[in-house]
Amino acid sequence: MRLVQRMLPAAFLAALITLLAACAQMQELPSLPAWHPEALAVGQQADCSECHDDQAKGTLKAITAFSHTPSFVRNHRFYAASDDRLCAVCHKSSFCNDCHTNKVEMKPSYKFGYRPDREMPHRGDFLTLHKIEGRLDPASCYRCHGRGNNERCVACHR
Amino acid sequence: MKQTLCRLLSAASLLILPVAALAAETAVDATTIFRFDQRDITGASKENLMPATQFLGLDVDKLADGNLSLHLYGWGRADLADKSYNKNTVDGSFTYGYLQYRFKEANADVCLGRLFVHEGIANEQVDGISARTDLPLGFSLSGFGGGTVHTKHLYGETSDGKGDSIIGGRAGYRYKGLLDLGVSAVYEDNAPKLTSTLADGVTPRYTNVTHRLIGGDIRLSPFHMVELMGHTSYNTETRGVAEHSYLLTVKPVRGLVVSGEFNEYRDRSYLASWAMFSGTFNPGDKSRSVGGIASYDLTKTIELAADYKHYTRELGNADRYGINARAGFLNNSVRTGFGYHYLRAGSGFAIATTPSASYHELHAFALHDSKTYFAALDGVDYIFKDKIYNEKSAWEGTASLGYHITPALALSGDVSYGRNPQFTEEIKGLARLTYNMTFDSKGGKK
Repeated sequence: MRLVQRMLPAAFLAALITLLAACAQMQELPSLPAWHPEALAVGQQADCSECHDDQAKGTLKAITAFSHTPSFVRNHRFYAASDDRLCAVCHKSSFCNDCHTNKVEMKPSYKFGYRPDREMPHRGDFLTLHKIEGRLDPASCYRCHGRGNNERCVACHR
Repeated sequence: MKQTLCRLLSAASLLILPVAALAAETAVDATTIFRFDQRDITGASKENLMPATQFLGLDVDKLADGNLSLHLYGWGRADLADKSYNKNTVDGSFTYGYLQYRFKEANADVCLGRLFVHEGIANEQVDGISARTDLPLGFSLSGFGGGTVHTKHLYGETSDGKGDSIIGGRAGYRYKGLLDLGVSAVYEDNAPKLTSTLADGVTPRYTNVTHRLIGGDIRLSPFHMVELMGHTSYNTETRGVAEHSYLLTVKPVRGLVVSGEFNEYRDRSYLASWAMFSGTFNPGDKSRSVGGIASYDLTKTIELAADYKHYTRELGNADRYGINARAGFLNNSVRTGFGYHYLRAGSGFAIATTPSASYHELHAFALHDSKTYFAALDGVDYIFKDKIYNEKSAWEGTASLGYHITPALALSGDVSYGRNPQFTEEIKGLARLTYNMTFDSKGGKK
């Protein structure tokens, strides 16, 4: 225990030196651009491999991994959690908040009724379906309704 | 106190804007929606609903030295006839509003205001600050902190499941493009924890505790065509694993993508602070799902996909499988798609006394978007294996028609009709005005 206490200042000093050294080298680290340099077609599942076959400079992730295939669209939570900075090059935060938000006003499929190709969640009579889907996979409800957006849930579920 | 301070700081950060708003690039997104609905429920008076909702987003880039930007988004609603929801005739939400400063190097940025944080195991909305940066030798650091954003007026509950203040962060290490590893933690002060019910036996009783999650995440891509990613979180309050979520993706040839996922959740540790947890779920339960999806691009605009998922819970197990197809024509201005899925689920997942929860799902859509008008048709039908509330199916069809008044301004309307177990007939109407404008845009529009 005494050894650990003696080591603490040294460890702190080492961390500080490392941090300073790191800051000095920061200028050599590339950043992602703020936005995609070319306009992308609306309504087309983005295929990054049309132009890219390399890694994103700022993240070293293969850009093609972010092509919007059916698997990507269904599992986009993994990619967003992995690095939402790459998402933010093309999407505003409000694009995510159409579905994932603390307080939602209407079903996304109503707001975007003119864009059925976006296949928004809870289309049709989800009032009936949620009684089955909620039992089947409650974690899938929790991702949007759990840490916020409880208001509509607890209107019935108490 | 901490919460108030965070909110004051967030609000104060917006005051510097007029000074900095020089040479800025601005984008406005506004959608006004009027909905028309008539409710006639047995035993209740007939209601005419006409809520008017305004969604408004504003993004101002290149403020000050060019690296500062402002982002705002929210909505407000007024009921022009009967009340559409809860006790208020007006309602609204300030979804986010923050200043962001992006440094030119190392992917570093600092955000201040109301913002969403997604990183590692954190998925939070806070009134506060977040910062992140890459470091030499492949390391990275990020952190956030502030007041939690509460859902107001949670009817019948004394808590919305959130505490007063929250802090978290992630430390990461990246080796070339092959490996990303991260450890992250979230600490929430005064978070409610459901312990029992009050004397009435119904109203939940909460005690305030700290809510702590720690976790790790990985992304491994040993070959260009293979990628594994996912995370595990551990709840130190309940001393149990909360979540395992992993996805393996393989792209053996161009156009073919095959992925498999594994998810496991322990309800006590994962859902503990959810208000719905009070009466709906068994804390001892856990859920697991294993599945996969394969998709193939026949051409650049024709895509086929098939998927399967197996669910396991204490209630029983279930399977879902199906196919989807999408196509685009005329330079993608015409798009269409259809899908079929079947859920096989036993009585444990069924509604009321229905012997089975199995159902077929069919959906199809088609849309056309030209420079002048746009139109869409969408249909979805759920056919139940066993009748629910004496109805064999639930279906809805929606038709939408719109006109581009200018490239940025469009007027459109939707009409939908359906029959389902909840309503014998359901007719809904909607009128929509959208305005999406970017001034002095360079590069792609977001």
